[in-house]
Amino acid sequence: MGHRRYSPATVTPPLLQLTNVAKRFGYFPALRGVSFELQEAQVFGYIGPNGAGKTTTLKILAGLLHEFEGTVHIAGKEVPLHRGAVQDVIGFLPQNAGFQQWRTSESALRSLGLLSGVAPKVLDERITMWLERFGLADKRHVKIKKLSGGMVQKLGLIQALLHEPKLLILDEPLAGLDPISRNEVKALVRECRARGTSVLFSSHILSDVEDVADSVGILHAGSLLKSGTIDALRSELPVDIEIEFSVVPTFSVPLEEHQAVESVGKTTEQSAVYRIVDGADVDDVLHSFVERTLAAGGRIRRLGVVHPDLDGLYAEYISKADQQQRAKRAK
Amino acid sequence: MSISPVRMMLRDELVGFAKSKVMVVLWVVLPLLAALGYFLLPTPGAGQQPPVPMVTMMALVLSSLAGTIAAVMIGVDIVGEKSRNVYDILIIRPISRTTILWSKFLAVFLCVTIACLISLGLGITIDLIRGVALPAGLATETLKSLGSVIAVIAISSSVGVLFGVLSNSTLVVVILILYVGQNLAIVPMLPAYLNLGDDWYWIMLVISAGVALGMMLLAGLSFRRTEF
Repeated sequence: MGHRRYSPATVTPPLLQLTNVAKRFGYFPALRGVSFELQEAQVFGYIGPNGAGKTTTLKILAGLLHEFEGTVHIAGKEVPLHRGAVQDVIGFLPQNAGFQQWRTSESALRSLGLLSGVAPKVLDERITMWLERFGLADKRHVKIKKLSGGMVQKLGLIQALLHEPKLLILDEPLAGLDPISRNEVKALVRECRARGTSVLFSSHILSDVEDVADSVGILHAGSLLKSGTIDALRSELPVDIEIEFSVVPTFSVPLEEHQAVESVGKTTEQSAVYRIVDGADVDDVLHSFVERTLAAGGRIRRLGVVHPDLDGLYAEYISKADQQQRAKRAK
Repeated sequence: MSISPVRMMLRDELVGFAKSKVMVVLWVVLPLLAALGYFLLPTPGAGQQPPVPMVTMMALVLSSLAGTIAAVMIGVDIVGEKSRNVYDILIIRPISRTTILWSKFLAVFLCVTIACLISLGLGITIDLIRGVALPAGLATETLKSLGSVIAVIAISSSVGVLFGVLSNSTLVVVILILYVGQNLAIVPMLPAYLNLGDDWYWIMLVISAGVALGMMLLAGLSFRRTEF
């Protein structure tokens, strides 16, 4: 379930709520009972390998896919039943957003903004503001077909923002952007959150997700393996302790023989990573490592608990899921 | 002041098609081709009339080409926009999918019809300049030819919309239009081909309108069910 930002006294109904959403393409199950929710002013990073079902989920939310099992509520309205009522609420950037090739940047944005019900005068101001912000002011009257992929991606993002939606659904918003533009988009996501807009976005660039997301959902083979804050996900994984020696000890009983050590990870001549069994007292283990090392004539340069980044968490959960799948098949 | 989405879509599609390269063929090349064909006919002797008036030549060329071009133009356009995910950002907005299709249909229908009017006007002008004795009841015949051509364009455009919606391949759309659409577009021309009476002309026009409407309804139904 999604992480709630607010205390129970101020809990509001979720802006977005998916319950047991399943979708098949022919015989292929693209989504298998996905459930999560998103509160107002929350940024949710949706991650998973290629083909995991991220785009399918986002398309269901945007109303592009309307035949699915389970329920989706946006701002309290069930979709696709009340699709019309939530169109103002959503801003959607599809993967590889496309525009009619004969249009100029301005013409494309103007039409889409007007269709979204933005008043012409306000729309003019917003188009100017966003084009300037994304460095596209000089491309205002340039035809779409003459723009680069990254520029079209930025236009795609702008069209999603024109009507100032309460929920932004962005499918790979950072794909194809240079580092400066990526930072710009990340800053924008933070601004949206500060204004009270919720953002649900998928990405393969996990460091970027970690930068901006309040919580993440890890999707694998159509199932949501985990969702929650990155810290909460970290806390569910076994702890790793990394030790680096300035003088390598000569153990009679090496550290890996410690009863709390479950396995040994990356090892070099002067360092090692030890995975600690679930439930062990990490402080005790650290003290024990220090004592054993000093007793064996070693000296410690660095010792600490390794907090996996999102890449590490992702790899861990995906690897676990793969192992479980293989075990199931073997049975 | 809010702008009607329907009017806006139609205006946008009209601008888009009117500026497209294919329309250049209809605006310029089509009349030129018809004119060229006319001038390639054997020159009549002194005091003789040309075998076919220019306006008739135009009507023949238009009926055989305009419908096909309209159908291919609209079908390929829809397939192309589907493949470029253009509809992904359009249909999430408060506009019905049927409106999108009708806008395309009307835009192409109007563009091609105007091109035909220009061509027929050019034919009449050339005939007048060359002093060709126009057949008796020319005005009526020209209007009837124009009516048939417009009916062909309507059916062809609707066929283009339907196949564009149903298929994801440009090649398949073109093949379907050439092999299926062409046969349907013959309907309004049947009274002329079979030398039927005036009554049949009007009946065929009504049937043509019905066929075009039916195609558009089918296209709308399919487009509403389409998942992107």
